[in-house]
Amino acid sequence: MSAHWTERPEGGGRFAIWLIRAIGLYGGRGFARLFLYPITLYFFIRRPFERRMSRAFLTRALGRPASAWQVLRHIHRFAATILDRVFLLGDRFKRFDVRLHGLDALTARMRPDRGVLLLGSHLGSFEVLRVAAAERPDVDVRVVLDTQQTPALTELLHALNPQVARNVIDAARPGTEIVLALGEALHQGALATLLADRARPHEATVAVDFMGSPAPFPVAPFLIGSVLKVPIVLCFGLYRGGNRYDLYFEPFADELALPRRGREAELRAVVQRYAERLEHHTRQDPYNWFNWHDFWKLDRAVAPARAVPAGAGAEPARSRSAA
Amino acid sequence: MDTTATKQTPAEQELAQLLVESLNIDWLQPAEIDPEAALFGGDLGLDSIDALELALAVSKRYGFQLRSDNPDNRSIFASLRALSAHIEQHRPA
Repeated sequence: MSAHWTERPEGGGRFAIWLIRAIGLYGGRGFARLFLYPITLYFFIRRPFERRMSRAFLTRALGRPASAWQVLRHIHRFAATILDRVFLLGDRFKRFDVRLHGLDALTARMRPDRGVLLLGSHLGSFEVLRVAAAERPDVDVRVVLDTQQTPALTELLHALNPQVARNVIDAARPGTEIVLALGEALHQGALATLLADRARPHEATVAVDFMGSPAPFPVAPFLIGSVLKVPIVLCFGLYRGGNRYDLYFEPFADELALPRRGREAELRAVVQRYAERLEHHTRQDPYNWFNWHDFWKLDRAVAPARAVPAGAGAEPARSRSAA
Repeated sequence: MDTTATKQTPAEQELAQLLVESLNIDWLQPAEIDPEAALFGGDLGLDSIDALELALAVSKRYGFQLRSDNPDNRSIFASLRALSAHIEQHRPA
């Protein structure tokens, strides 16, 4: 039925992305945005799976059956932020009206010897954060990104801005290397950012209530913050239409203490709190929801559970079954 | 499972002790860890968060960092034996 998000094809492919870039960079943003209408219609027609996901999500978020018009608006929003990534990374950041909220909460927590773990999501655009950070060369930002998920787009964006590309921790690497790289970055006082609303296949998850029913969230971001004893700050970059973005920073936990034993309940409570903040911002502006898969799907292919002898009761929270 | 395990060297014994302590593994004695068995995904079933905690413990105990960008990471983290050999080779004297 519904595929895992990693199994969905990248929309458009290299040619479409090249075209968007060519039109955008030579014709300007206003001109390029005219093309968003046929692009939106094309996706609406050619990607029935994403169309159904959008309709189901908007129905849930709005509390009444979503219309085709609303689905089109949703796709248009998404396409607009993808287009804006070209301009944001193409060094035209100053054209945008980016309003920062709660930046002090973030900067107050940064120290040269100990970084901050910044958790983003697929609500809105994370790109605006990467670019806002590039405007502050004194701040060392590392972003965990899967370059294999959208290879054509990643290739283009990084060609546009090699500076930003250098700060990527590739999520396609083995998990051990990713967490070690995060550890090194945070040890050097960097702002390490990762997206905390999607788990990769076989990654441990916990199901918590989100927008009315349980949804699987990855636990690794919170465990990493706890193991490295760094503050966790949430970040939401919402696109408001036109050239306006709102970038929110919210302190989440200054020192998350998750004991090794019996941490399942505590971990669940922490993840639930994250889901509530995500829900808060999602409800404010559902059209910024850019998870185009069945976010609430719990029963994915059952992966082997952690090899713990029965009765040992070491770490039930790390069961990989719903990963 | 310890009947089939090959014998640990003194360095491996010390690392096994550190591993069991830092990861709070209470279902296994340090001596029971087969030095040749897979640390991750095998019987021991460690995951990447365990690797992070282990790396922190190794850095504290041996004063040496396990690096994320080491091209040999796959073999370094393969088994207790491989990890111990890597630490012994690189730890400051």
